[in-house]
Amino acid sequence: MSVARSRSKRTKVKRRGSSKKPRPEPTTVVGKSPPRLDGLGKARGSTRYVDDLALPHGLVGYVVTSRHAHAEIESIDVSEARAVPGVVAVVTADDVPGENQIGVIVDDQPLLVVDRVRSLADRIALIAACSREAAASAAALVRVVAKPLPGVFDPVAALDKGAPKLHPKGNLHAKMISRKGDLRKARKAADIVVENTYTTGHQEHAYLETNGIIAEPVADGGMLIKGSMQCPFYAQKSVARVLGVPHASVRAVQIATGGGFGGKEDYPSELAACAALLARVTGRPVRLVYRRDEDFAWSSKRHATVIKHALYAKNDGTLLGMKVEIYVDAGAYGGLSKVVAERANASAGGPYAIEHVEVDTYVVYTCNPFGGAFRGFGAPQVTFALESQIDALACRLGTDPGKLRFQNFVELGGRTPTDEVLEAKPWAAETLEIARRRCGWSSRRKEVAAHNSDNPDVRRGIGTATMSYGCCLHAGGQHLDGSASLVQVHPDGSVSVSIGGTEIGQGAFQVMAQLCAETLGVTLDRIRVTDTDTLAVPDSGPTVASRTTIMSGNAVLDAARQIRSRLIEVAADELGSARRKIDLRAGRVLCDGRKTKLSVADLIGRCYVRKVNLTQSGWYAPPPKTWNFERGRGQPYTLYCYATMIAEVSVDTVTGLVTLDKMTAVHDVGRAIFPAGLEGQIQGGIVQGMGYATMEHLAVHEGRILNPGFTDYLLPTSLDVPEIDIALIEEPYEDGPYGAKGIGEPSLIPVAAAIANAVADALGFRLYDLPLTPERVKMAWEAHVSLSLAPEPVLATVVTGFGSASSGGVVRGWR
Amino acid sequence: MILNGEPVRIDAPEGARLLDVLRAQGKCAGVKDGCGEGECGACTVLIDGEAACSCLMFFGQVAGRRVDTIEGLAADPADPLIVALVEAGGVQCGFCTPGIVVAARALLKANPKPTRHDIQVGLSGNICRCTGYHRIIDAIENVISKPRQASKASRGRAP
Repeated sequence: MSVARSRSKRTKVKRRGSSKKPRPEPTTVVGKSPPRLDGLGKARGSTRYVDDLALPHGLVGYVVTSRHAHAEIESIDVSEARAVPGVVAVVTADDVPGENQIGVIVDDQPLLVVDRVRSLADRIALIAACSREAAASAAALVRVVAKPLPGVFDPVAALDKGAPKLHPKGNLHAKMISRKGDLRKARKAADIVVENTYTTGHQEHAYLETNGIIAEPVADGGMLIKGSMQCPFYAQKSVARVLGVPHASVRAVQIATGGGFGGKEDYPSELAACAALLARVTGRPVRLVYRRDEDFAWSSKRHATVIKHALYAKNDGTLLGMKVEIYVDAGAYGGLSKVVAERANASAGGPYAIEHVEVDTYVVYTCNPFGGAFRGFGAPQVTFALESQIDALACRLGTDPGKLRFQNFVELGGRTPTDEVLEAKPWAAETLEIARRRCGWSSRRKEVAAHNSDNPDVRRGIGTATMSYGCCLHAGGQHLDGSASLVQVHPDGSVSVSIGGTEIGQGAFQVMAQLCAETLGVTLDRIRVTDTDTLAVPDSGPTVASRTTIMSGNAVLDAARQIRSRLIEVAADELGSARRKIDLRAGRVLCDGRKTKLSVADLIGRCYVRKVNLTQSGWYAPPPKTWNFERGRGQPYTLYCYATMIAEVSVDTVTGLVTLDKMTAVHDVGRAIFPAGLEGQIQGGIVQGMGYATMEHLAVHEGRILNPGFTDYLLPTSLDVPEIDIALIEEPYEDGPYGAKGIGEPSLIPVAAAIANAVADALGFRLYDLPLTPERVKMAWEAHVSLSLAPEPVLATVVTGFGSASSGGVVRGWR
Repeated sequence: MILNGEPVRIDAPEGARLLDVLRAQGKCAGVKDGCGEGECGACTVLIDGEAACSCLMFFGQVAGRRVDTIEGLAADPADPLIVALVEAGGVQCGFCTPGIVVAARALLKANPKPTRHDIQVGLSGNICRCTGYHRIIDAIENVISKPRQASKASRGRAP
């Protein structure tokens, strides 16, 4: 039994040629891994999450959803439900005082059903009761007369002419394209075409804390919202809209949140609107916390996709063109699907220089569970398809998959697949180079091949995947891409920091505390980061897109630097010295690098005596991006980060079980502010991505999730974790706080692609459908053996697919 | 029952989930409801010293028995296991952490010198969705390698 360990290394990469950038200054807190400020409370069980708060006179909220995936609603009768003892209110669409609308981007989703249901998550009624039992009894008595309609469950078939229409304009929610060059030229010049169809399944976020919100009415007709969420500003807006009150009357506070991963970006705003409506109608506080099966059934998922991919190349390995059709299963309403698809659309070409590009992305309504934000936001799906294609091409050419990648990476000054000229150095090649070196790529490949030559039952494989990821919001969302902070220095020298981003476990508050401590020269124990509160800071958008370190971090620095300059001015005056000689470090005031009689706490006290303002708000907005929406061309993101992962797997061909033995991960991170947290993100992302790739199969039949719980939806446990080897490239990003970039999503994006390539290496043929569950792998292997095909992968034709939307028993092959 | 060392009398139906009874009496909010079907381990408590999922236990089953929750087991903030978990970076969102602390206690009691694989087995009933487990396992290794100086040991490690 091999025992999984993790090791890591921080790497400084020497730049070729001269570098004008000065080396970063030495730091006392940034770049260190002190214990997390929130760690002790969490580990001792004293941190209070939404279900732990006392709520005097509070009621329990409950949601009644549709029994049909698609139906016309003729009537809803709640009179019997209202009569159940313990029930205080049962509300339907008629009771909404403001707008019965919660669409985030497009107004296509009512909070409560009016005359049509389009999914099993559609809300018929809401109940407030003294107990969950009373509410559940009442829910059973809500009488709905409905006329069932045929459903739509396949995102490709949903676009057929005869498909039942879910919305007045049909089932195409949005379409976007990306065009570069002229694909006809690539077709003409290509020696090889690799053409395949890939499918990816839904993934459940499975944050350990289910969704939960408390709504408390306040005296002026407003509402206080507290809960588990990634964007209190969304909650503020949806509650204001549904109640018909100004934003200023709604205060949303994010409290301790037990994981998000994107799943708490938009959904909590729906839940907040439900809780707020019940609180408004009853005049009492309402707590609405989901049970695990409810959370599975009603919250968002990673989008299932179908990706048709053609890659055009020359015999020497040069990529010429790419034609991609992406079908994104949105579910019944738009939600965030359009922006998720925008990222898939803009990321389809990865880090490669491809001259001719045609990407068509269709975002399609179905009656399936709805897709939303999930770590990677459309990128893991297209990365899986593209990186599989690159390996398939390498296989056709008989070349090393790594070499083929090196040959095709966009270089500094080159043009990306969206026709952007790269003005910042891309680190794709370095991440791949380091990863290959660390895992011993060439020798491992030989060992694997030798092992497989006489082990048909447990085969081994090694596979690689490289990605580039645009941090922060897409150009289409740049109007939301500003972030605020508030830094307040108290008379005793302690500091409170508020940001618009949220702490969802990823360590954002720790990063903010370290940035602020470093800049103000105080020790970390003097810093408190407060719950994110819409009253404390202005709208800073959501905590997504690996943007919080950069956005909120820069906003904190903006405020802290202003305060620092005031402190230094007073210090210079107190010490009778020039301002430029003063430095603040680790709680001491330094002059000419030497300690003085003044501590920073003393200095702060002097500032108060002198009536110097030491409270400051901060703001950061990234430079504008230019994106042509008609052509899908230009600069979609402010900055890119790069990563390569190399997966080593064992595949048991008797059971079909894929085991990830080792993952080597190399990330370009700019600078690690809190290395323990950053590496924790990478380890967590790898394990979550491994779940996505190998075991997390959400079984959906006619819109219903058949495995809505942790017993049947398998999640990685401590026994499944691979050995992990991490290396970081720390070359500061000019506009990042102390040089930092984001890490949350890059840690997951290449995982499934690397594993799929390793599995193809192990089996000698490729599988095109995620997840690679034992059933799928075993069926594919048996078909492979029974068809008695040559084990050479080049012309392999295999049967893949098990119960997925488009691939049940389809025979696929390469042209 | 004896709850965290104190004899207590609680009025609740015998068929109620132990998890709900513990949370409802106001002092055990650290016992978390993660899945309700015994898979995630967030509700782990010790019953007569052995780890159990309180979501799968009836209240009636613990009458007269000793029940220890995170509140009792982590009463000391300088507890080496807790300190090691925080210092190794084994805590992210924190929702699973109390259950993991309780499970690790049971593991170390049954096997004071577990191997890394023993730790993996011992924690396999606790799901953590954030950390990928490595740092949690590291923390427990740190505690057993230097029980009294766990904090120093983990500080000296490469991050």
